[in-house]
Amino acid sequence: MSTVKSKKLQVGTDATSSNNFTIYQPATPDGTLRIGVGNADSPTEVGQFNANGYVATKAPAFKAYASATHNPSLNTWTKIQFDSEEFDTNSNFDTSTYRFTPTVAGYYYITAKLRGALSTSVSTMYVSLYDGTGHEVGFRSLVNNLNQQIMETTALRYFNGSTDYIEAYCNFQGSGTATVYGNGTFYSSSTFQGILIKAV
Amino acid sequence: MTLYEKITTLYTELTDADFAPDTGTIMLQNDSDGNGDYIKEWNHPTLAQPTQEQLDGVQ
Repeated sequence: MSTVKSKKLQVGTDATSSNNFTIYQPATPDGTLRIGVGNADSPTEVGQFNANGYVATKAPAFKAYASATHNPSLNTWTKIQFDSEEFDTNSNFDTSTYRFTPTVAGYYYITAKLRGALSTSVSTMYVSLYDGTGHEVGFRSLVNNLNQQIMETTALRYFNGSTDYIEAYCNFQGSGTATVYGNGTFYSSSTFQGILIKAV
Repeated sequence: MTLYEKITTLYTELTDADFAPDTGTIMLQNDSDGNGDYIKEWNHPTLAQPTQEQLDGVQ
């Protein structure tokens, strides 16, 4: 039995470097095994193995929240203003457009939580996920005195990694003033989050 | 005055049911981009979509 010791091992000898893979130890060893696309002289890292297992380099996950309370018009689908982030691992969430546009194609689990209120005796509060073509309404509530109700909608969706996006909207029916709560405390305000389940 | 209030002032026969997300025929939307509320869809069977001039005239 022989032992082969090497810092890099290229898998594949195709003339197009992006058809080859390289597994390698980083220039400054840190206990990880890196996997890259490309030839051994210049691989582009796509993932690594460390003591906890495999970690993909690009694995979008985000959690955004509304830092301020706002008051949408009644009977109007209104995009919830998720203007702050707790984390955004691949910089795919835009806090100015409140939109998640993942750059890795695959299946994502998305959740939008609305903490809202409407000062009326009988009303309906909706929260939806909107992809530019239609509202996917995951939940609605018909209760008396919607005083700071919390509702969530979830979806498992495919994103193409370039143009597909998702946003969260709310809609209040009834009378009085509708309120979407966001006080800067992410665990109690309205939140919007998602994570890559399976890349394709 | 919101767009919803202007529309229901013009057409007093409209109710919340006409704007219901699942069964209504009128959809209003606000993309939180500074452009305000707008009519996303108008599929009411008898009432015509109001013009901007009509909406602007509602006090």
